[in-house]
Amino acid sequence: MTTNTRHSSSFRDPSGYIFIDEGILKRSISPIYFKQYEALKKAKIFENLSKAGVLIPHTELSVSDKEIVIQPEQIPFITYPYEWSFNQYKEAALLTLKLQKYCLEHGFSLKDATAFNITFHKGKAVFVDTLSFDFYEENTPWRAYKQFITHFLGPLVLAHFHGAQSLKLMSNFIDGIPVNMLSSMLPFKTKLNPFLYSNIHLLAKFEDKHNEDYKGETKQSKLSKKAQLNIITSLYDYIKKLSLKEHSEWGNYYDKTNYSDAAFIEKANIINNWVTNLNAKSIIDVGGNDGTFVRQINHNFELALVCDIDNNAVDFNHKTLKSKKESNMLPFVLDALNPSPAVGFENKERQSFIERITKYAPDVTLALAVIHHMTLSGNVPFEMSAHFFASFSEHLIIEFPKREDSWVQRLLNTKGEFKAHFDFYTIANFESCYLNHFELIEKKPIENSHRVMFLLRRKSNERKD
Amino acid sequence: MYFLYFDPGLGAMIIQAIVAAVAGVILFSKNLMYKIKLFLGISKPVDDELFDDINVEDTDIENKKTSDD
Repeated sequence: MTTNTRHSSSFRDPSGYIFIDEGILKRSISPIYFKQYEALKKAKIFENLSKAGVLIPHTELSVSDKEIVIQPEQIPFITYPYEWSFNQYKEAALLTLKLQKYCLEHGFSLKDATAFNITFHKGKAVFVDTLSFDFYEENTPWRAYKQFITHFLGPLVLAHFHGAQSLKLMSNFIDGIPVNMLSSMLPFKTKLNPFLYSNIHLLAKFEDKHNEDYKGETKQSKLSKKAQLNIITSLYDYIKKLSLKEHSEWGNYYDKTNYSDAAFIEKANIINNWVTNLNAKSIIDVGGNDGTFVRQINHNFELALVCDIDNNAVDFNHKTLKSKKESNMLPFVLDALNPSPAVGFENKERQSFIERITKYAPDVTLALAVIHHMTLSGNVPFEMSAHFFASFSEHLIIEFPKREDSWVQRLLNTKGEFKAHFDFYTIANFESCYLNHFELIEKKPIENSHRVMFLLRRKSNERKD
Repeated sequence: MYFLYFDPGLGAMIIQAIVAAVAGVILFSKNLMYKIKLFLGISKPVDDELFDDINVEDTDIENKKTSDD
């Protein structure tokens, strides 16, 4: 096996790496990790954790002296920590602690605790790094403790005090938010909380004090398993109770829109017909709020990606799908005007949203009540938004609110004296720009509203694959 | 020492003894409060709709097996 097919995100852990073989993601395990792998297999750790739904299941493809190749269950669309809502992030943190507790009780330990070891699949968080498990050595502290704090506890506590926007910091700090920065950003009162004081402020102090000990003169500390379990449990209890101070207003979002019920139903019917005729298996709703509209569609998708710029809406959606136990919907935070960039080594370690969605290529894109925000709030010309939508899926269902629409009027009025700069916002201009990239399949005005629905198919020369 | 591909933090390795002690006290007092409340008959609201318990029980695994298949 040559390493040139190695996936660009898989180089940090020398135990093995993932690679793509004819479109299928596989994992190669190096001899350095054989002992652990065999022991984990023998102790049925992989089997039990996969059955409990917390670890991605895999099958063994080949075993030789040089490498073992396994094939994990394929995940159609990967989301990264900086695209999760607050409760999704919490779920990922709790999952990591759960795994560590289980490991400790069975003689193993998680050797790392990065948030990138987790993604969302079939309606819940799942641990994807099969090689993260190692033997537990009696009386040793948890090596991944600091990583857990900088990847999970830190961002969550920041979000609690400063709002969910802080979770976005993770797209810059892919190795976790530095502890001294965490400590300095938290309000003073957190120093009075014994849990936060010891886990963040004191940690920052200790890290500061010992970070120049290159000779390893500081003596190795010992920690009993019971003591380590205490840390894990107290982290779990604290994180489980953590909440956002901002409260979601999205529960009644659809009561606040300017739709009459009849228009809403008509819109749903139009979309239902189109989606059913296309026999779409996958869909992305960019601006899907809390998923209400996708749930209206009377069609079974293999996977529906529902994104929104508002963390609260995504959170609400996440809660809904957890309580309904839906497995074919994946909510995540997306700012269509500033989608997640590619980050990490050579800018290839974590892929941009555009790269991932282009590769996934959902059958249909749903853009409802989006274009006026993109055009009038974001100042994105029709030509550019058409190019954006044409880059990732075959079909586009887009709703165009005409100038007379009350929302459009509101957005235009905020432009004040520059209102005339937006005279181009007309349905004729919209059509002529979009038809450069798409063919028109159908166009339907929604009665009793100033909105028009378009079903478009991307022109063949727009494909990027 | 193991080869690590990330910085575990020397300070972080040492501090865990203190963190564990603090955690021990917190857990102990919580447990005590819980027992007192239970004794006094003050009901504890359960907010476990979204997040389960920390334990991945083998019995859960058995249950999952039958319900998933």
